[in-house]
Amino acid sequence: MTEQQPAEEQAAPRPAAHRGPPIEVAEEVLDSRGEHTAGALRLALRDMTIESGGRDDVPWVRIARENLTRAVESCVRSPNLRMDMLHCLFAVDYEERIELNYVLFSLGNAHKALLKVDVPPDEARVASLTGVWEAAGWYERETHDLFGVEFDGNPDMSPLILYEGFEGYPGLRSFPLHDYEEW
Amino acid sequence: MVGVTVTTEQAYDTVDMMLNMGPQHPATHGVFRMVLTVDGERVVDVTPHIGYLHRGSEKLAENESYGQVVTLFDRLDYVSNLNNELIFCRAAERLMGIEPPERGQYIRVILAELNRLASHLLFIGTYAIDLGAMTPIMYGFRERERIQNMFESVTGARMMHNFIRIGGVKEDVPPDFVPRVRALLDDVERGVQECDRLLTFNEVFLARTRGVGVIDLPTALSCGLTGPSLRASGLAYDVRKDYPYEVYPYLSYRVPVGENGDCWDRYYMRVLECYESLSMIRQCLDQMEEGPVMAQMRRIARPPKGEVYVHGENPRGDIGVFLVSDGTDKPYRVKVRPPSFCNLVSLRPMMRDAYIADAVAILGSLDIVLGEVDR
Repeated sequence: MTEQQPAEEQAAPRPAAHRGPPIEVAEEVLDSRGEHTAGALRLALRDMTIESGGRDDVPWVRIARENLTRAVESCVRSPNLRMDMLHCLFAVDYEERIELNYVLFSLGNAHKALLKVDVPPDEARVASLTGVWEAAGWYERETHDLFGVEFDGNPDMSPLILYEGFEGYPGLRSFPLHDYEEW
Repeated sequence: MVGVTVTTEQAYDTVDMMLNMGPQHPATHGVFRMVLTVDGERVVDVTPHIGYLHRGSEKLAENESYGQVVTLFDRLDYVSNLNNELIFCRAAERLMGIEPPERGQYIRVILAELNRLASHLLFIGTYAIDLGAMTPIMYGFRERERIQNMFESVTGARMMHNFIRIGGVKEDVPPDFVPRVRALLDDVERGVQECDRLLTFNEVFLARTRGVGVIDLPTALSCGLTGPSLRASGLAYDVRKDYPYEVYPYLSYRVPVGENGDCWDRYYMRVLECYESLSMIRQCLDQMEEGPVMAQMRRIARPPKGEVYVHGENPRGDIGVFLVSDGTDKPYRVKVRPPSFCNLVSLRPMMRDAYIADAVAILGSLDIVLGEVDR
C-alpha cells in the first residue's frame, strides 16, 4: 500500500462492501431472461415439477427420476424451448442423496436451464439419454466413473477417465483424498 | 492346395483392421489414444481413449480454499490459463454478489484476449505441423513468445499466472503497460498476417483440409460442439456476444461464421478470431481508465450457501463452471465443463468415412488440450 492510495480512492470510490453479519444463504433471483425460460419450462413440465428455482438466467427444475426421459423429450420438443444441446451433465454428492444435474441449452431460442434428478446413493440408477444427444454418452461414463451412477440404456459403460480395474468412486465425499497406494 | 477350399464369397470377405494411435503419438497433442477401425484406407469407426492425464482436479478443489482453486484452474487448459482463471473467479463472484471494479474487468479482458491470441497462434503453428508444413510454427511461436513475455512482466509467470483473483486482479498493471501492449499488438498482427498469407490459401493446405472432417450443424449440436469449431458449422454462437460478461458489451467486434464445417473452416475461424481479438484489445486500451482493480472484500473468500452455473468463451469453446458452496471457505463441489472434452465427442462423426491420412488433420482441427479433457 503506497501513500497515494487514499487520494486515488477519493477520485474513484470503491464499490461499497457488505457490512454487518455474513450472508448465510445466497439469494436466488432470476433476471428477465431467466423468468422467460422459467415460464416456458413451467409449461413444458407442468405435471412433473417437484421444486423449482434459479439464479440469474439459469432456472432449475427438480423432477422425479422416472420422469427424466419424458421431461427431456418435452424440453426438446416444446416449440418454446427446443433444447438442442446437452451442455453438461454432472453429479453432486450430498451423502443422503446424489443429485444429477442436466444443463440444457437452446442455442436457437437462447434458453439455459438445469434439470435436477435425485437418486439414492445405494440405488443410483437412472435412464440414459444417449438416444437424445450424442454428448450424453461420455458424460454418463464420466459420472459412472466418479460417482457410481448406473445409466440404463447406455451401450458403452467402460471406464472413461479412470483406468480399468480402479476400485471405488473417487467423486464421492466418502472417498479419501490422500489415502492412495503406490502402484 | 492341401485340402483348402476357398469359395468365391469367402475370398472377397474383408476384415476391418484395428489401428492404434497414441498415447505417445506426437500428433495427438498430449496423451490421447484413439483406436481406428479401418477398412483399407477408410476409417470405419474411431474409439477415443482419454484419462491418461486425470489428476482429479475437481476432487482436489473440494479440499482447497477458494483462492487456491484458481491455481488448479490454471492447470486445466494450460495454453489459455487466464481464461480459465476468469471463469472460476466469475462463478465465485456471482455467488458472493461481488462486482469487480471496471479497471479490473478491463485488465481481465485484455489478458484473456491476449491469451486467446497466444492460444490461436499455437494452434496455427501446430496445425501446420500436423499437416507437414514446418514453417508456420516458427512464426506462430515467435509471436506467442512475445505475448508470454508480456504476461511475465504483468503477472510474474509465463504460464501458471494465478493473477485473476476473486474480486478483480491481483495488482495493477505496470505503468508502461499500455504503450507496450500497443507495440506488441502491432508485432502480433504482422505475425498473424504472415501465418495467414503463408497458409490459408496455400494450394496444398487447401487440398488437405477442404471438405475433410465435415460435421453438419445438428450433429455438432448433439455432440455439444462449441467455440470456433461450432461456428465453422454455420451457427454464430459466441458467449461473449450472446451472454455478455465483464466489459465485452462495451466492445464492438464481429463473430466469424463458417459455412461448410470442414477442417479448413475450423482453422480459418481461429485466424479471423485473432484479428477480432486484436481489435478488442485495442478498444480496451482506449477505453480503460484509472481506478481500483480489486473489489473490497474480506481477505478469505467465503461465499454464502448456494450454487451457480456460469459459462464463458474460451479459445477452445464454451467453458462452464458449476460451483456449490456450503458456506465454508472451501467449495462443496466444483464441476468444470471443459470445451475440449465435448469437442472430442464429435471426433467420431467427423472421422467416419475419412481416410487414415486425414485422421491427424481432423484431430488437429479440434485443437484439444488434454489437460482439460482429463482434468
